[in-house]
Amino acid sequence: MRKHDRTGSRLIIGLMFLFLYAPILLLMIFSFNAGDSSAVWKGFSLHWYGKLFQNRLIMESVYTTLLVSLLATAIATAAGTFAAIGLYSLGRRKRDALLTVNNIPMMNADIVTGVSLCLFFVAFFQSWGAFAKWFNALELSLGGHALQLPERLVLGFGTLLLAHVAFNIPYVILNVAPKLRQMDRNLMDAAQDLGCTWMQAFWKVMLPEIKPGIVSGALIAFTMSIDDFIISYFTAGSASSTLAMTIYGMTKKRVTPEINAVSTLLFLSVLVLLVISNVKEARQESRERQGAARRTTAMERLAQKISEPRYKWVRRTAAGALACVFIASVSILSYATSSRPVVNVCSWGEYIDEDLIDQFEETTGIRVNYQTAESNEALYSLLKSGGADYDVIVPSDYMIGRLIAEDMLEPLDYSQIPNSSLIDDRFRHLPYDPDDRYTVPYTWGTLGIIYNTSMVDGEIDSWSALYDDANAGNVLLINNSRDALGIALLYLGFSVNTTDEDEIRQAYALIEDANRRGVFQGRAMDEVFQKMEGNNAAIATYYAGDCVTMMYNNEDLAFVIPKEGSNWFLDAMCMLKDAPHQKEAYMWMDFIASTDANLANMHYIGYASPNREALERYPDYYLEQEGEELDPEIYDIMVAPPETLERCEAYLNLPSATLSLYNSLWTQLGTN
Amino acid sequence: MSKELIRLTDCVMAFDDEVVLDKINLSIKDKEFLTLLGPSGCGKTTTLRIIGGFQTPTSGDVLFDGVRINSVPPHKRTINTVFQKYALFPHLNVYENIAFGLRIPKADAAGKKVKLAEEEIDRRVMEMLEIVNLKGFEKRRTSQLSGGQQQRVAIARALVNRPKVLLLDEPLGALDLKLRKDMQNELKRIQKAMEITFIYVTHDQEEALAMSDTVVVMDGGRIQQIGSPEDIYNEPKNAFVADFIGESNIIDGIMRSDGLVEIFNRRFQCLDGGFGKDEVVDVVIRPEDVDIVPEDQGQLKGTVTSVTFKGMQYDIIVDFYGFKWLIQTTDLSPVGSRIGIKIDPDGIHVMKKSEYSGLFGDYSSYSEEYEEISDASCGPEEEDSGDEE
Repeated sequence: MRKHDRTGSRLIIGLMFLFLYAPILLLMIFSFNAGDSSAVWKGFSLHWYGKLFQNRLIMESVYTTLLVSLLATAIATAAGTFAAIGLYSLGRRKRDALLTVNNIPMMNADIVTGVSLCLFFVAFFQSWGAFAKWFNALELSLGGHALQLPERLVLGFGTLLLAHVAFNIPYVILNVAPKLRQMDRNLMDAAQDLGCTWMQAFWKVMLPEIKPGIVSGALIAFTMSIDDFIISYFTAGSASSTLAMTIYGMTKKRVTPEINAVSTLLFLSVLVLLVISNVKEARQESRERQGAARRTTAMERLAQKISEPRYKWVRRTAAGALACVFIASVSILSYATSSRPVVNVCSWGEYIDEDLIDQFEETTGIRVNYQTAESNEALYSLLKSGGADYDVIVPSDYMIGRLIAEDMLEPLDYSQIPNSSLIDDRFRHLPYDPDDRYTVPYTWGTLGIIYNTSMVDGEIDSWSALYDDANAGNVLLINNSRDALGIALLYLGFSVNTTDEDEIRQAYALIEDANRRGVFQGRAMDEVFQKMEGNNAAIATYYAGDCVTMMYNNEDLAFVIPKEGSNWFLDAMCMLKDAPHQKEAYMWMDFIASTDANLANMHYIGYASPNREALERYPDYYLEQEGEELDPEIYDIMVAPPETLERCEAYLNLPSATLSLYNSLWTQLGTN
Repeated sequence: MSKELIRLTDCVMAFDDEVVLDKINLSIKDKEFLTLLGPSGCGKTTTLRIIGGFQTPTSGDVLFDGVRINSVPPHKRTINTVFQKYALFPHLNVYENIAFGLRIPKADAAGKKVKLAEEEIDRRVMEMLEIVNLKGFEKRRTSQLSGGQQQRVAIARALVNRPKVLLLDEPLGALDLKLRKDMQNELKRIQKAMEITFIYVTHDQEEALAMSDTVVVMDGGRIQQIGSPEDIYNEPKNAFVADFIGESNIIDGIMRSDGLVEIFNRRFQCLDGGFGKDEVVDVVIRPEDVDIVPEDQGQLKGTVTSVTFKGMQYDIIVDFYGFKWLIQTTDLSPVGSRIGIKIDPDGIHVMKKSEYSGLFGDYSSYSEEYEEISDASCGPEEEDSGDEE
């Protein structure tokens, strides 16, 4: 009976660990996949790791992450240690109260910490701006020019660092406090009694005593820093991006094996740190338990030897060298970021051939600070919060309309963008920017049905397939209210931009009915890739460029733009009002609008270019790059022919009442 | 004894309105072994910490060699301390613990910081190890030492700096009885050998009497009595001192005239005088000063209610007219027997009434009191008054 029970609990533990670690294991395995699918194994390869180190976005964010984590850890460890010591000089009641207060930020939801820090910084910047203006004016009126305070501060590396320091300090205090509690309170008195000043006593006696706590505190702070996404996301602003933020930006489109590779490395490095800190703790515990019986390790004998007075020079030299390396790396970064002209670009993840950035930097000497946002709405709220400092953004059509309406964009001087003349006429004078004053189109594409010919009978040519019982359990509903409802509207014969509540409710009823009948397997965005490539779903709605990628990975897949018509979308480069680096921004936009850049992007992203020449030359370019002919069918999917495009309708910015109707309907669907 | 080294004048120590030391006046001579004695919370450790420089008195002066040192930090005083539970540095071995103070650069006469040469440090550490009988233990970790050995390291660590004054805060509290007796002798020997002032804090009256030149009895933040061990024992100033030092029967009495005191309506010859006529006083009679005689020959007559065999003597409790006395005797008188007692004039000590009158010296609840006494001596005080704040 007893034995039986054991097996049961072992089974549960085994399942628990499987559940915990299987996903990570899967991710690690697929990071070695030769193909670029996350569902189909195509052999072992280190290809993605190689690519990882060539990906400048990732490498830059790794550098930022390491620098922020190291600096934040160093500052937070020092501050937290002294704070803990300060706490211990207080009476017990005050100390306990303060330690409780110290624990609150750790319990607090990261999102609250992040948002509140962001609000705090922005509020501070505003009052600082007012103060700086007043100060500078005052100085000018007094005839001085010596000190001009910057009037505009934005979120960036500094705020990111401050935020990390702020959330790390409690962890350090939490780790140092127990060591202080264990320490004999007379030790500090004894050291001072023997001739030390307080500071000397701190270095010679207290520090060695509480060092294990400081080290584990620093390790945890470092791990937290490296790991953090949410707080960084709200405080990094436009100029800096941590690794976690970059990974998140990259997943916007799809999970590439590159992300698997970088996640694997991130997981392993955090694992190593945790193992080190745990082993240290375990060692120390056993040391305390064993007392005299312990044998010293080689490392400790070395440490002992180094700590002898006659090896002082070794210690000094080592400390000096470390400090030099650190200062050098910090100054290289600050040199790289400050001394060269720069342009701040915000786009989407996986939305540029990164070689283009290198080319631009080499030819112009301008540094491109390339950041990514995860959606139009996220970009909008970031801009509204005043925390961002971008020059060029690449929003979608409907969002451009909104930004223009709210006077957030700078009218462009097209004489500085000669390549804009290459834009095909089809992409001029579009409803969101009828006079072509604000935009340079970047890419465009269509929304259509991708389906698995081996799982569906016959060809699909209508949106009705999405709601058909014949496909029950095999349809993926696109997880985006505008697209899902827009398709339903088209199917019912309405405009995607209708503001008629009744029409929208009819469209919703159509989806809800299908949902109740169990037609949908689930809702999906990024998961579409795995599901479709792995034959796990038969029908999905997705963007043409991405569908081409899926079709390369699974030959059974086909793409169609249904006869009822569809949505076509266009993302365009815009300059933000009062952008600080306008000259550089114009150079960047002109460079990206060039035919070569358009060809490279079209090939890399899979979305169609708006450049007339690039559209014509792409089949040749493809042959050149891949060594084989481009399938004309594939070309037609990427670049919807005029007669298809005719059937498609672009989204317009909807009035807020309609938007909230969309939102509430979409939320309602989730609860049914 | 020679000149005065340390003087405390009107020292007051208060934490948040709680007065821990109330106008302490104390003079400490050079090369003296002085003990601060009292129950926990009496202010003895606070006094020691003021002398050591760890606390600054709220008001009053601390003079060292005639110079006011109220706010001189500990590291600038030529005073070293042996702490409760030793406070050895766990990350250093025995040698480095002792060398700790020597390795700190000290200002010389010209105010320049000088470091001792490694050879000088080595010589002095080895010399100290010899004095405290710990040769060959240099490389040991402190956690590998016994309590007594740790104690010696703590003493060596303090003395190696050649202080003018050594402060010892309940240094023997954590040792067992046998080791304690040995260390008492050892400390006395070291003090004689080093020829420096020892200021010793303890709650153990036997220890205080055995080692000290001068004993300062403290209670409630005030000094109750200063004197040689003999003075303190034989001529306690009030009921508190009489009770705290040794065992005492303290009885209400009336001073009929110089040399004549009345207890229980019977007159006794005594050696004390200088009281007002018919003044109400406290009378101290030590248990060993009472002679047991047959009932009909006794000055007082009572009934034995309890007998405890103590090895050298019996502790018996005798009921005199409802008031219980402790008497120490070598002759057994069984429980329930009637006895008489005689007290010689020099066995009677008369004290003025004080705030402590009526609080001590009654043995009607003998067994409980006895436990209390043994409790108090079984461990060192964890925290003295005020340390926590």
